[in-house]
Amino acid sequence: MVASLDGTLAALAEPTRRGVIDLLRVRPRPAGELASVLHMSAPAMSRHLRLLRLKGLVEEEHAEREDARLRVYRLRREPFVQLRSWATEVESFWSKQLESFKEHAETTRKGKRP
Amino acid sequence: MNTDCVTVTTVLAVDPATAFAIFTNEIAAWWRPKVDGLFQRGRNGTLKFDNGRLLEIYSQGEPFEIGRVLAWDPAKRLVFEWRQEGFSPGERTEVEVRFEAASAGTRVTVQHRGWDALAADHAARHGYTGNAFISMIGLRWGDALTALRLLPLAKPEHGSAAI
Repeated sequence: MVASLDGTLAALAEPTRRGVIDLLRVRPRPAGELASVLHMSAPAMSRHLRLLRLKGLVEEEHAEREDARLRVYRLRREPFVQLRSWATEVESFWSKQLESFKEHAETTRKGKRP
Repeated sequence: MNTDCVTVTTVLAVDPATAFAIFTNEIAAWWRPKVDGLFQRGRNGTLKFDNGRLLEIYSQGEPFEIGRVLAWDPAKRLVFEWRQEGFSPGERTEVEVRFEAASAGTRVTVQHRGWDALAADHAARHGYTGNAFISMIGLRWGDALTALRLLPLAKPEHGSAAI
C-alpha cells in the first residue's frame, strides 16, 4: 500500500490515533493493549486501527501461531519518512532562528545567568 | 485540538526579561535572513520591531511590513502577525512567543499558527490541492508535526526485532 501524504496527515489529525502511533513507536502491540492504555472501547479502537491501516500508517503482524489474539500492530516506516521530508523543512526554519537567538543571547549576556 | 500550528522550543541561559529584550530589541542581531524553509524571500533584510509593527528593512527601498504586534508583555509573551510576500491583503498567520522561567534560565516557545485558514484560501484561489499545495505553502497540521518530532524514524529493523 502506498501511503499518501494527505492520508497520513488526516490519520494523524486525531488525538487517539496520535496516541496509538506514540505507543507503537515503542514496540508493536496488540489491539487490546492499545485500547486499554488509551481508555478506549475495543470497537472504537478497532475503528481507529482500521483507518490507520487503510492510510498505510500501521500494519498487522501475525505472530507465529495462528491465534488471532496474538495479532499485533506495528508502524510502517514509509509514511513517516515521507512526512519527515517536509515536516523537517518546516520546523527547521524556526529551530534555526531560535538556535541563533539562543547563541546570541548567551554570548552577549555571559554572567547574567539567573 | 489545534491543528494548524507549529511549535518550537529552546532553553537559554538568561532570565526571561533579558530573553524578551533580546528577542525584540536585538532581533536584527540574531535573526538569520538566509535560513531556508518556510520563508524564502526575494531579498535579505534585517528585522525590526518598530512602533507596533514588525518590519523587514532593506538597504534600499521601502521596508516590508511583516505584521502588527498584537501582544507585547515583557518577560512573558509576544504575539505578532506574520505575513509574507505573496499573501493577499487580509491573509495573515500569527506567531506567539512565550518566555517562561526554567531551571536553566528561560524556556522560549515559538508557536506559528493560522496556516489552516490560509491554506484553504490559497488552495481556493490558486487551485492547488494535495501534495503540490502542501509543498508550496510548506506547512499544515501542526499537531501532526508535534507528533512527528517524537517518532522514531524508524530504523528498518524496528518492527521485526520486536516480534
